[in-house]
Amino acid sequence: MSLERNPDRPRIDAREKVLGKPLFAADREVPGVLHAMTVPAAIAKGEIEAIDIEQAMRVAGVVRIFTYLDFQDIRETPATRGGGGNVPGYQPMKRASVRHRGEPVALVVAETLEAAIEAAEAVKPRYRAAAFSAWHDQAGAEREPLQVDREAGDAPGALAAAARTIDVTYLHPQQHHNPIEMISTTVSFESGRMLVMEGTQNAAAFKFGLAGMLGQDPNMLDASSPYVGGGFGQKNNLQEQTALVARAALLLRRPVKLVMPRSQLFHTATYRPFSSHRIRIGASVQGKLEAVLYDVEQQNSRFDQFEAAHGQHVSRMYATSNWRSTNRRVRVDVQSPGHQRAPHEHPSSYATECAYDELAHALGIDPLQLRLLNDADLDPITGKPFSSRRLVECLRRGAELFDWGRRQHATRSMRTADGQLLGLGVAAGAYKAAVSPALARLRIRADGSTHLSITGQEMGQGMRSVVAAEVINVLNVDPNRLTIDMGETAAAPQHLTAGSWGCASAAPAARAVALRMRERLAELVGIEQANGNVHEALARVRRTSLEVEVAHLGPGQPKTVLDRMSRGLPAAAGPEYERFTAFSWIAHFAEVHVEPTTCRIRVPRVVSVVDCGRVMNHRTATSQVRGGVVWAFGAALREIAEVDPRYGRVLNNDLADYVVPVNADIGDIEVELLDEPDTQLNISGAKGVGEVAMVGATAAIVNAVHHATGKRVRHLPIRIEDLLEASAEGQPYLHESLALAKRLRDQQPAARSEAMLRKLIVGLAAGTPPYDDMSPELAELTRQQLHFLQKDLASLGAVRSVTFKEVSASGMDVYEVEFEKERRIAEVRLRADGRVDAAWINL
Amino acid sequence: MSEQRHQGVVTFTRREVLEAGAVASFAGVTSSSAADAAAPARQAEHGITQRLSTRINGTAMALEIDARASLLDMLRERLGMMGTKKGCDHGQCGACTVHVDGRRVASCLTLAAKVDGREVTTIEGISDGKTLHPMQQAFIDHDALQCGYCTPGQIMAAIACVREGHASSREQIREYMSGNICRCGAYIGIVNAIEQAARQTERT
Ligand code: FES
Ligand code: FES
Repeated sequence: MSLERNPDRPRIDAREKVLGKPLFAADREVPGVLHAMTVPAAIAKGEIEAIDIEQAMRVAGVVRIFTYLDFQDIRETPATRGGGGNVPGYQPMKRASVRHRGEPVALVVAETLEAAIEAAEAVKPRYRAAAFSAWHDQAGAEREPLQVDREAGDAPGALAAAARTIDVTYLHPQQHHNPIEMISTTVSFESGRMLVMEGTQNAAAFKFGLAGMLGQDPNMLDASSPYVGGGFGQKNNLQEQTALVARAALLLRRPVKLVMPRSQLFHTATYRPFSSHRIRIGASVQGKLEAVLYDVEQQNSRFDQFEAAHGQHVSRMYATSNWRSTNRRVRVDVQSPGHQRAPHEHPSSYATECAYDELAHALGIDPLQLRLLNDADLDPITGKPFSSRRLVECLRRGAELFDWGRRQHATRSMRTADGQLLGLGVAAGAYKAAVSPALARLRIRADGSTHLSITGQEMGQGMRSVVAAEVINVLNVDPNRLTIDMGETAAAPQHLTAGSWGCASAAPAARAVALRMRERLAELVGIEQANGNVHEALARVRRTSLEVEVAHLGPGQPKTVLDRMSRGLPAAAGPEYERFTAFSWIAHFAEVHVEPTTCRIRVPRVVSVVDCGRVMNHRTATSQVRGGVVWAFGAALREIAEVDPRYGRVLNNDLADYVVPVNADIGDIEVELLDEPDTQLNISGAKGVGEVAMVGATAAIVNAVHHATGKRVRHLPIRIEDLLEASAEGQPYLHESLALAKRLRDQQPAARSEAMLRKLIVGLAAGTPPYDDMSPELAELTRQQLHFLQKDLASLGAVRSVTFKEVSASGMDVYEVEFEKERRIAEVRLRADGRVDAAWINL
Repeated sequence: MSEQRHQGVVTFTRREVLEAGAVASFAGVTSSSAADAAAPARQAEHGITQRLSTRINGTAMALEIDARASLLDMLRERLGMMGTKKGCDHGQCGACTVHVDGRRVASCLTLAAKVDGREVTTIEGISDGKTLHPMQQAFIDHDALQCGYCTPGQIMAAIACVREGHASSREQIREYMSGNICRCGAYIGIVNAIEQAARQTERT
């Protein structure tokens, strides 16, 4: 059976969501629940000498205040902070010490939230602070040895031999995910089992990882996360507070709920760490890439293994047969960073795609042409074919939709109708097409209902809609009575849903279980009936229900990987498979407008064309791409964690100061999905889309800013002041705003303004104004008024003296002019090109 | 300054988890609410309390509530109305948007005591669950959501935005909806949805 194109279908859970019905982790009603609040450490490193809880205990409603003395037996296992760590991570409140700013040092539990908050503020820890380093450039930061992550050919040799080279370094700031659902943990007990409710992308890590930390049998524990209010990678792991809440609930024998304040999450949850990226490119004069050397340094905590290797997708973007990428971690005293949407792909695409833009500019080649010229037939790293690669099609189609043809090569060469600087930028991206094992169990009932239990977490990306599509495509079930359990360890084993493998893992599992069901039905009722209404077919043979189960594996994966998966350990295969390499591909085109006086940057339009295999739901996939572009906008122009190295603290630890994109920031984002199945990868033909959406989009915006202004900013976010500085390099239009600011501050007239004023007065009085020294608008106005101006000025007589008074707020140089007969105030303003664009005299 | 007593190291057995479960299920809640209407008390109050009568989604309610409680925590933790979400608790995200006397407010920044004698409308109150409010339908039609966490707040803000007359152009909608953050980035769908619903409201 060939793969059907999925018709336009609404998101399956949209109705529930607009009604406010989905129960997120902190929304479940738990009778008798107690409320907890953490007390964050006020130092970055040191010992806890004492914790005074006396005053806090007096707050009415407080049940208990826990400190490290209560939690010493929580185990740090390889599962601590998620399934992935190679060594045990770090669990706060096990010892009388602090390893990073903001980690919990006490946990207050009270009958009400208000009591817990008040008491938490009254807890008084006493610390003995130790020296620390909180930023990579501080003394005490530990630079690990260099690692080579990918290599092909002889990059250093080819670089040395190349006709043209560039060597640039891009900096990427620390960023925080900030899903709108704050991370919360609720632990309750139901029928003698412990139920952990936390919005997570990895319910299995809670069942198995948490059981390990608590010394429990995983069979006594269920984790439930049916809806996640945005994950973006921050909810991949057990959190710092998870085991604390579970232990507190066990000690108190009552359910406990903790919603972590957002300000604390900036210091307890993961984030995208600071990284620096040096790129050296060698190319022919025609723009053929001959060598790429790419070296990354990335900040990390002292105690975790978050990878610093950034070469995975960038080494596959183009035909770079001489490639070498290296990386090193720099360890400091902070909490662990982690995966944030396109964790390596976003920073690496930002750096490299901007560097390619620099190369194109230096060579005088269209940046789109540079990319087309260097398309790769085979994976440069493994030499294998790609399972599918439609990057050229993405670039060509995007160029067409965007009207790339209107672009003029020179920077600062295009303007909008209202005089803003206009810039057009392009960049491309890719993201590994990984596949994780998944288990699907489908039950169809004669009463018309269908229930699917499946591996995977719904966090807004549309997983429920994806698996529903495959069941509906294969079987004639009643779609309105299809219910789906995901994110429930009690319903099916769960995997870490991350790395964009959710769709490519769950969709084929759903398809496989539906196909299996059809086979079973055919055995039971015959092929013809199995293709008809399945509920009726069951009723006819007097079966109340039929259930089948299928485990689906990634290409070439052994069965044993199922066990890894169900324990919450990463179990995905790819992007390198036995016969091919698999990626999703994308091209982004961005238009920016830069207001010349304030240098405010707007992004009115982005066009993104994606090769993500077969599109499982057009609406959810389009929304994912738009969301990715919104994130890329945030990265390009808004988001940065301002870390104060003196205190190891994120200063802007809330949503007022950590600025994320809002509605007014976002213009049109036009998305086209190529919708070509990748059947080599899986039976659904699906690849991932949630992360590739963001990859390259920041670079497209940054490249467009360069095109608009001529300024190459090599750090993020690009701010107004970065462009104002550009004026210092002699760019006339931007120069004005900076020069004006300086004149205003210093109250100094522009260099030639007095001379120009005198020339104007003399010319006007003689009836021959210096039109060439005026802007066209002023010249026009002067022509209209010359008759009066000449008469009035002539009657005042010759100019005796001119005295500078001030610079007005609108940038006019104000003078007092003494004529033979009277004194008058006159004002004049010079543009950066030396022409007068406004002049006025009090006649 | 007093050192906390040493609690000792406790490990748990399967039996203890079972017992904890049993205890938890008995831990009932006593109502301290002097409700003269149906105001189900989810928890006993501690500290200084405040009496208030309000109408929530058309139902009159009287509660005796912690004077420190926000309207948001009253809705969620006292009344079990979980449609209104907490995204920051600081008035910075808009997830907790509800209407008080028809105007949009951040319920996390509104003390519960402030709604004494006022009318509160939440996401649960704009439709009967069968027929949707036109704004809800428009959000479905334009896929104006992903995770759905900001959605109740977006919809309450959107209804108010139209009612205020701030939905006359896409630019105006963008501006007046910028107090509601959607980290999933559903902004384009949200603007499309509000345009559609505003047109419908105009016609009726
Ligand atoms: S929770 Fe009220 S504005 Fe964020
Ligand atoms: S839909 Fe997820 S935050 Fe808006």
